[in-house]
Amino acid sequence: MKTNVKKIAKDGLLSSNPTLKLVLGTCPTLALTTMAFNGIGMGLAVTFVLICSNVIISLLRKVIPDKVRIPAFVLIIATFVTIVRLALDYAMPELYESLGLYLPLIVVNCIILARAESFASKNGIFASACDGLFTGLGFTAALTLMGAFREILGSGKIFGFKLWNFSIDFFGSSAGAFFTYALFIAAFNALSNAVAKKKRAAEYKAAFAAELISDCCAEARPVECAACGDVKEGVKKAANGADKKASDGEKTETEIK
Amino acid sequence: MADNVQLLTYSPSPHIKHPRTTRRIMIDVCIALIPAAVMGVVYFGLKALLLIALSVISAVLSEAVYLLIRGKKIDEIIKKFDFSSCVTGLLMGLTVGTNYPWYSVIFGAAFSVIVVKMLFGGTGKNVVNPAVTGRIFVFMSFQSVVGKWIAPSVGSLSGGAVETGATIIEGLMKGSLPSLSNLDLFLGTGLPGCIGETCKLALIVGGIYLAVRKVINPLYPVIYVGVAGLFSVALKGFDFNYFLPSVLSGGLIIGAIFMATDYTTTPDTFTGNVVYFVVLGLLTAGLREATDMEVTSFAILLMNLLVPLFDKFIISRPFGYKRAGKVKGGAQ
Repeated sequence: MKTNVKKIAKDGLLSSNPTLKLVLGTCPTLALTTMAFNGIGMGLAVTFVLICSNVIISLLRKVIPDKVRIPAFVLIIATFVTIVRLALDYAMPELYESLGLYLPLIVVNCIILARAESFASKNGIFASACDGLFTGLGFTAALTLMGAFREILGSGKIFGFKLWNFSIDFFGSSAGAFFTYALFIAAFNALSNAVAKKKRAAEYKAAFAAELISDCCAEARPVECAACGDVKEGVKKAANGADKKASDGEKTETEIK
Repeated sequence: MADNVQLLTYSPSPHIKHPRTTRRIMIDVCIALIPAAVMGVVYFGLKALLLIALSVISAVLSEAVYLLIRGKKIDEIIKKFDFSSCVTGLLMGLTVGTNYPWYSVIFGAAFSVIVVKMLFGGTGKNVVNPAVTGRIFVFMSFQSVVGKWIAPSVGSLSGGAVETGATIIEGLMKGSLPSLSNLDLFLGTGLPGCIGETCKLALIVGGIYLAVRKVINPLYPVIYVGVAGLFSVALKGFDFNYFLPSVLSGGLIIGAIFMATDYTTTPDTFTGNVVYFVVLGLLTAGLREATDMEVTSFAILLMNLLVPLFDKFIISRPFGYKRAGKVKGGAQ
């Protein structure tokens, strides 16, 4: 079976983006988007766990019994979350501090469990790794954009750099998190609807043009091709004429007999 | 024959028409708010006038801009303008302090009109009161910049003074009676607070106007204020010295008369409304006691969200309807 990387990438990043389309993993999304850097950190941590757990689950998908698959998945995920925690604590203690409780909570993040359940346990290793990578990147992109939006409006900074001395504290608060999330989902849906509409219109136009041509020109081309009604009548007349001629011909034949 | 045709009108129901339109009611509310606005300008100076004007203009403009984006024609917008955004802007301007930055009311008014009202479908479709929500938005967004409430330029009549910043509510809930007399609290002289909420006299005059014009039922604000005051007294161990100060300080009066009585965000039935305002009063007093802060707007917002619940469980009895009684002895 050939892996369709392009389709997996499109699914993970856009058409089933975990944050904006499936609305999974909302807890870290709402809590950690106060700063763009937190969004990137959280997103990359989740991406790493997602790739590794998807690969291992895909490897073990024929070994794990169906009835105990959820505990088995959680155990695998927890292993990688522990690795990420220890690594972050060693390498980037500041980020580790600011992610706080949400780092161990990756274990129960819906995105990872959903991808394990719906993709990795049914597909091959390479496809699962790609799926983990692109779903994780979709999550990271959404979190970073939301974090940047809230950081600029809520504290007048971007990635910790002061932009101006103006801020609307509402966007830094938890109510602002819900509001920003709603805005982003609405904007994303509006964009994807507009794209789908444009695509449909193009398809319709192509189909319609093909139909017109077949309607008009499959039959013997009539003399005046000015308007459609004329065309159809012309075709009809021509057909009638042919019928008449045919019947006439028959008549003449019988008469001859 | 032609005359007969003119006499008959063909239209779908409803056939009974009343001169009271949304526009007329909203203009009445605007008129009722004028005394409070005038007293605010007298107490707090021209900055108050600037804030109120900016707030009204930006509320009306943001509604117009939203409708233009939605593809409405300008003459249609002007023809159907119902002054409800005017009321929202006016209330928004009256519930900030004069030390708020001038752009804060623009954000607040735009937020309350566009996000709270228009995105939910326009006048009469909003889930929560736009002015209350806009006020909370501004409060959450700019309170840290502003810091403290400032006192009006007119000093207190009794000679007592409140240091700028410490709200009366804060002191009151911590158990000390205010240094201002009840008359000062009633007139708002020397009382720090929002532009519109300080002079209770002007607000009550506006409320009486609304009650006379039958825009609001005067019973509801009275229930709200009374229950809130009595529950505060009860929480303070039935010390009735707390009744008037707790009623007259903070935004309770303006909230009770102009914000909680919004048609869209109150229950449909009389019983529902009475229960609603009693619960609102209990909630306001309880939250004040628990947080030592002025929470009238938060309490109204919270109760607005519960209105669908009131409408679901408290419904008016249809005429002639009898509840099916229980059969004695059970069905055996």
